[in-house]
Amino acid sequence: MYRKINFVVPFLIFLLIVPATALCAGKERIKHLTSIVRDTETGRLGLLSGIFFDENRNRLYVTDTTNKRILAFDHDLNFVSEFNAGGALEAPTSLVRNSKGQFLVAEPTKRCVLFIDIGQRSVKPIDFSAVAEANSIYPGSIAVDSADNLYIVDKANQRILVFDADLRFDRQVLVKSGKGLSDVKIGLDGNIYALNTIDGSIRVFDSQGNPLLSFGKKGKEIGKFKFPIGLAVDRKGLIYVVDKHKHKVLAFNKRGEFLLEFSQLGWREGRLHYPSYIYVNKAGRIFIVDGGNCRISIFE
Amino acid sequence: MVRRKIHSAFFLFFCASISALLMADQAYAESTQVTFQKCLKCHPALGQQMASKGAHVPFKKLECSSCHNPHTSNYEHLVKEQIGKVCKSCHEGKKGVFDKKYSHSPFDEGACLKCHEPHSSNKRKLLVAERADLCFGCHAKKEVLSKKHKHDPVKKGKCLTCHSPHTSDHEAMLKRSLTQACASCHSKRIRSKEAKKSHGYYPIQDTKCTSCHNPHASNHNNLIKESSHKPFARKKCTQCHNPPRSTDPLGVKGGGMSVCTACHTSTEEDFRKVNTHVGQGVFCTNCHSPHSSDQAHMKKAKEAKMCTTCHEDTKERLRDKKNKHKHPSVMQGKCSDCHRPHGSNFRLLYGADEIATCTDADCHKRHATFTHPIGKDAIDPRSKAEITCITCHNLMGSRHDFSLRFDRKKELCIQCHKGY
Repeated sequence: MYRKINFVVPFLIFLLIVPATALCAGKERIKHLTSIVRDTETGRLGLLSGIFFDENRNRLYVTDTTNKRILAFDHDLNFVSEFNAGGALEAPTSLVRNSKGQFLVAEPTKRCVLFIDIGQRSVKPIDFSAVAEANSIYPGSIAVDSADNLYIVDKANQRILVFDADLRFDRQVLVKSGKGLSDVKIGLDGNIYALNTIDGSIRVFDSQGNPLLSFGKKGKEIGKFKFPIGLAVDRKGLIYVVDKHKHKVLAFNKRGEFLLEFSQLGWREGRLHYPSYIYVNKAGRIFIVDGGNCRISIFE
Repeated sequence: MVRRKIHSAFFLFFCASISALLMADQAYAESTQVTFQKCLKCHPALGQQMASKGAHVPFKKLECSSCHNPHTSNYEHLVKEQIGKVCKSCHEGKKGVFDKKYSHSPFDEGACLKCHEPHSSNKRKLLVAERADLCFGCHAKKEVLSKKHKHDPVKKGKCLTCHSPHTSDHEAMLKRSLTQACASCHSKRIRSKEAKKSHGYYPIQDTKCTSCHNPHASNHNNLIKESSHKPFARKKCTQCHNPPRSTDPLGVKGGGMSVCTACHTSTEEDFRKVNTHVGQGVFCTNCHSPHSSDQAHMKKAKEAKMCTTCHEDTKERLRDKKNKHKHPSVMQGKCSDCHRPHGSNFRLLYGADEIATCTDADCHKRHATFTHPIGKDAIDPRSKAEITCITCHNLMGSRHDFSLRFDRKKELCIQCHKGY
C-alpha cells in the first residue's frame, strides 16, 4: 500500500506541474523584440496609423499621418528612407504594396485611396465611380491578397470593397450584422477577415464573400473585447486582435477559440498604451502601432 | 521499515488534524445559537426592528451569521463579504433573471443598500423609501417634476410600470422594448384616426415613440420634447422622409448622411478627418435625434451618457469610486470641451495636439510656461515619446491628486527619474 502511495503522490505532483509548465511556456511564446521610436533619422513621429511589411523586398513601411509621410525600414528595422509621394500625401493612414512594387495608401481626409507608382512617378486616386454608395466612401484599413486584389474597408457603408489587380472595382462584401467595421486582413488561404469594433465581432468570409465564421464578444472577462481596433492573421491561421482599451493583444485559433492574450497597459518597452493597429508578417513578427506611446512595438 | 513507520505516523497525524478541525467547527456552529442572542444586548435597537412586520427573514430568525462575521471582517459592520455578494448568496433570482443585457448601476456595483434596508423596513421589499421617492433620490427629480405635463405613471410615482429595477434586456431598463413599452397601454390611441392624422399618416405602430415624446414629463402638449428639429416642428416630414404612401415611407431620402448634410453643409467637412465617428447609413442619428430632443444640439441623451455607451473604459473610470480626482469638464459630463465628437486629425479626437488642447486661452494657459518640461524636446525615458500633459495626468479619473496617474509623493517622479 505504501509503495502505491509512494508512486501515486509523485504522479499527482507530476500531473499538477506539467500543465502549469505548459501554460507558462505558452505565455513565453510571444516576447517583445524591440520598438521603433523617434530618433535623429526618423525625426519626430506624429500620429502613426498603418503598417505594411513587403515580403518580396523585406521592407517595413509605416505611415506617419501627422507628418504626411511614409517611413521605410529594412529587415533589421533600421531606418532606410521616407517619402511623401511628391507632396501628394495629405493624411496617409493605411497602406499596402503590391507585387509590382506599387503603393496603395488610404487618404480618409480626401475620401480616396491613392495609387502610387514610384518608378513611373505616378500618383492618382483609385476610381470609385463604379461603386454604388449611400454615403460617400470613407476608406479605413486596406489589405492586399497574393493575387494583388485590393480590399478597402468602407466605414461609411459597413462593407469591404474589392478591386482587382488592375484596380477595377470587382465586388463588395457587406458586413451586415456587424457594427463599426474597422479592419480587414486576408489570410494565406484567401479568406477575408473583418473586425467590427462596436459589437466586438470578427467575421470570416471566403474569397467570394460568403460567411464562414463569426466570433468574438464584448465583455470584461478574459478572451472578450473592450474596444477591438485591429486584427491580423499569421501564416498558421492564428488571428491576433489588438484591443485599444484593454491595451492587449488577444489571439484566437482558426475556429475562433481564444488562446491567449499578451502585453498590458504601460509605457515601458513591451507594454502598450492605446494601441491602434496590428500587422503580422510571414516570419511571425507582430508589429503594433502603440499610439499612446508614439512608437511601433514589435513582438515575436 | 523505518520509512513505513514515518509514513504511518504522518498519516495518523493528518487524520487526527482533520478530525480536530471538524469537531471544532461543529462546536462553533452549536455555540452560535446562544451567541447571537447576545448581539441584542449591545444592539438593543435591533430588537424593535426585529419585531416589525417587514423584517428581513434571517434577521427575524436571529441568524446574524448569515450576513455578519461576529469576530472580524474586511467590510464595514462586520459584513462577511462585499454587500452585493452577501445578498446574491441567497437572492440568486430565477434562472437568467439577473443575467440580462442591461443592469441598474447600483445592482451592477453590488450596492444593494442604496435601495434596500438590510434589517427591516415598513416599505415593501425592504425598500428604503416609497416608490418614486426612491427613484427620484438619484434620477433627476427636478427635471421631471418641474415640467408642466407629466406622464400618468410618473405622476403616481409608479416607475416600475415601465422599468425593471435590477436587470433588463431592453435599453433604459425597460420591461419591454421601446415600441412595446408604450403600446402596452396606448395601443388603441396609436391606431386611432386622430393619431394617424397628427403623425402625417406615417405608419407609427412599430416606431420608437421616445424619438419625439418624453416618456416622463414635458412643458409641451402630448409630452413632445423641449426642442424640435425645424422640419419636424413645421410638419414637413417629406423634407427628409419618403412620402407616407410610398413603399418605404419611413425610409430617408438618399439613405445616407446626405439627408442631413443637405442642410447642415459645414458638418460634412467635420467628417473629412483621420479619426471620425463616421458610420453606416444616416449615422448622424447615432447621436442626434432627428425629431425632437431635451438636450442641446438635438443630442439623443446627455453627452457623457451618450459617449460612454461605446467608450466603456471611460465609463468604468468614471464609475470607479476610488477615482475621486477628475477634470472639471469630465465631472460635468462635457466631453466635447476637449474632444471633437465628429472628427479630428489628432489623437483621441482632441481639437488640437494634447498640449495645445490643455493650454489654450481659456484653460491652463499659465501651465505652458512653468510646468515640468513638455513638448518636442522633453522625452519620456520609458517610451521615448514626447512628454505631454497626459503623460502624467489621467483626466478621466484618478485616485491621486490633480488626476495624476501615480502618487506624486511616491511613484510619479521616479517613473522617469530613477536615481532618486
